[in-house]
Amino acid sequence: MIASVAVVGHQNNPLYLQSFTNANDALKLHHIVHCSLDVIDERVNNPKRSVSTLNESYLGLLYPTESYKVYGYLSNTKAKFLVVTTDLDVKDADIRSFFRRFHAAYVDAVSNPFHVPEKKIVSRTFAQRVSGIVKAFAAGTNG
Amino acid sequence: MAPLVPKSGDAIFASIDRVNAELFTLTYGAMVRQLLTDLEEVDVVNKQLDQMGYNIGVRLIDEFLAKSNVSRCVDFKETADVIAKVGLKMFLGVTASVSNWDPEGSSFSLVLDDNPLVDFVELPDTFQGLHYCNILSGVIRGALEMVSMKTEITWIRDMLHGDDAYELRVKLLKQIPEEYPYKDDE
Repeated sequence: MIASVAVVGHQNNPLYLQSFTNANDALKLHHIVHCSLDVIDERVNNPKRSVSTLNESYLGLLYPTESYKVYGYLSNTKAKFLVVTTDLDVKDADIRSFFRRFHAAYVDAVSNPFHVPEKKIVSRTFAQRVSGIVKAFAAGTNG
Repeated sequence: MAPLVPKSGDAIFASIDRVNAELFTLTYGAMVRQLLTDLEEVDVVNKQLDQMGYNIGVRLIDEFLAKSNVSRCVDFKETADVIAKVGLKMFLGVTASVSNWDPEGSSFSLVLDDNPLVDFVELPDTFQGLHYCNILSGVIRGALEMVSMKTEITWIRDMLHGDDAYELRVKLLKQIPEEYPYKDDE
């Protein structure tokens, strides 16, 4: 199940952090996200294939550790979406569709004229949509 | 001629030039945002939006009458229907419904379920008094004034404040008869 999601801007400033476990591990979450950013930078700067010029690069598994895995997704405005999950086996297609929906919710939140770019996302609708997407994902993988 | 609207708004909407809805929404949002930055007070911004709408309305009515070929409205009820079904459809792409007529027939409610101006918008807490779509009330007021009806328009329900639809109350204050500006014997 998904432990948390995060959105980071192109200057590596955090835009949205949400954890879905009931433990108060906000600090640990920050730490994980921070470490993942390094992995993303590394992947972006040294592409493994020379033809990795896809828009909307789905970065896949960034690094697995003892109890969780982190998946990343980079939009072409360098907005990074990170998902920390405690599932042991997650299908690639599920995560991809999760990121697509997450990206769509992000785009709608950013189109709000009252949202200041590169500041934190305070939209309540965005939070609700993200919770909805996470719940749907959990239901999808369990069912 | 047909009793109500001779050409439904859909046909005219399909035949005129259209613009991308997101571009329209984002442009309007940017404009409101800039007004808020310049004027800072929510009430002043509301008044300014209404004034801008009024300026648009007095010019829009001519285009509307030219493109839509509606016949002269017999009474205020017909005016209300024409605004809701033909006018709003032609310019905003949505139809509204007319309801809550008061007993004298001089004021009605225009209810919009869908409003392209407010896609993606969420009002922050500091701007809760803002009537984001106030430009619409100005447009209707300006247009009706050019066809000799002085009206007063207020917002009853606003989805950005948590209601389920947009409701505008249009009240006819008086009908101004056409005045001939020149004296005949001079």
